[in-house]
Amino acid sequence: MGSRPPDEETLVARAKRGETTAYEELVRMHQGIAFRVALVAAGDRGDAEEAAQDAFVKAYRALGRFREGSPFLPWLLRIVANEARNRRRSAGRRAGLALRAAAVVSGDVAPSPETTALTLERRDTLLGGLAALDERDREVLVHRFLLELGEEETAAALGIRRGTVKSRTSRALDRLRAVVGEDVP
Amino acid sequence: MNGLERELVALSDAVEWPDSPDLAPVVSGRLGDAPRRPGLARRPLAITVAVVLAAVLAVLAVPPARTAILDWLGIGGARIVRVDDLPPLPLRQDLEVLGGPATLAEARAQAGFRFADPPRGEPRPDEVRLAPGLRVSYLWRDGPDARLIVTQFPGRVGDPALLKKLAGDATRIDRFAIDGDTAVWLEGGPHVVLFVAPDGLIRDDHGWLAGNTLLVDRDGTTVRVEGALDRPNAVDLVRAMPASPSSEG
Repeated sequence: MGSRPPDEETLVARAKRGETTAYEELVRMHQGIAFRVALVAAGDRGDAEEAAQDAFVKAYRALGRFREGSPFLPWLLRIVANEARNRRRSAGRRAGLALRAAAVVSGDVAPSPETTALTLERRDTLLGGLAALDERDREVLVHRFLLELGEEETAAALGIRRGTVKSRTSRALDRLRAVVGEDVP
Repeated sequence: MNGLERELVALSDAVEWPDSPDLAPVVSGRLGDAPRRPGLARRPLAITVAVVLAAVLAVLAVPPARTAILDWLGIGGARIVRVDDLPPLPLRQDLEVLGGPATLAEARAQAGFRFADPPRGEPRPDEVRLAPGLRVSYLWRDGPDARLIVTQFPGRVGDPALLKKLAGDATRIDRFAIDGDTAVWLEGGPHVVLFVAPDGLIRDDHGWLAGNTLLVDRDGTTVRVEGALDRPNAVDLVRAMPASPSSEG
């Protein structure tokens, strides 16, 4: 015990050699964000879970084509998002994840400073503003800020170029600001 | 980051995201195929498997030829065959093919072959499964699935309980001995357990894709240990299985 967990690059290399235990670690490392990206793309929890699961299996089988040394997460998220979008199309569902504000924070758990900075009213305003945006604007903001993904991961998940992420984010923020204002204390 | 961007990041904490499911166990159970090597076409590989399986079926269909195939890489009732590609497995473990739940006493009375008792010590197996004449299994459960399975089956040539393991290139296969008994350790890569049913059809045994597997030939009965154990622990587990009073019923 006490040894450092292997880094992602090592795990990828081992998984490429067929070590399923290494791949399991990669799954555990990324399953949270993979599920959320799938949820945003599929708009349905059940489909998101299946899509994320299928995507991990497909990614494993495609590992031979993954270029070692390049970041794993964007490559994975591209597969996850494609899988989830396909399911949404198959189900004939329109895009649009219903985001709900969390219930009142339990008195037992200290809310994070960021959470306390938002009043309930402001949360609802922001959620309403996001919902009012068109799909492309909303999804880029959700990926960049709510999922806290970098530009490269966002580009992969949305199937667009990194430069497009940058410009689309800027425009989407302007449009959202026009709806909700900027509540700077 | 400007004010609105910070608010959106803060909103992430306030959004009621559904709990992320633990995907690793299910994904792990579906990793039947080894990662593809670049430039390796799938079709010829699939044909390789088809040829192997067709050969197995054809040979098994002709009783006199059975011994030839059993000589490939024999240990007890299990045979290991290396292939370039592995057949797909079902998503979930199908524990039903291990037989029905039974008490140890029922298994002893009805198994029809000698097998060892569960390993001494804790934890005790959650379940005993019996397929009379074919195999007895001890299961340590993890909800609806199994996390450790010890299966014993008669390993005599000609028995219906012939087991095949298809191992991919990435699987390391070590042959060694445990207290004089022949043993094989499979580690590090995917392998598929295929069972040849009494009707001669090959089907996947129970959908359990073990990371590591230990096979031991003990007095004509093959012990198979599958689960997330390393080799020393798997060997200890087999050593903790007492010589059984179980006898042919």
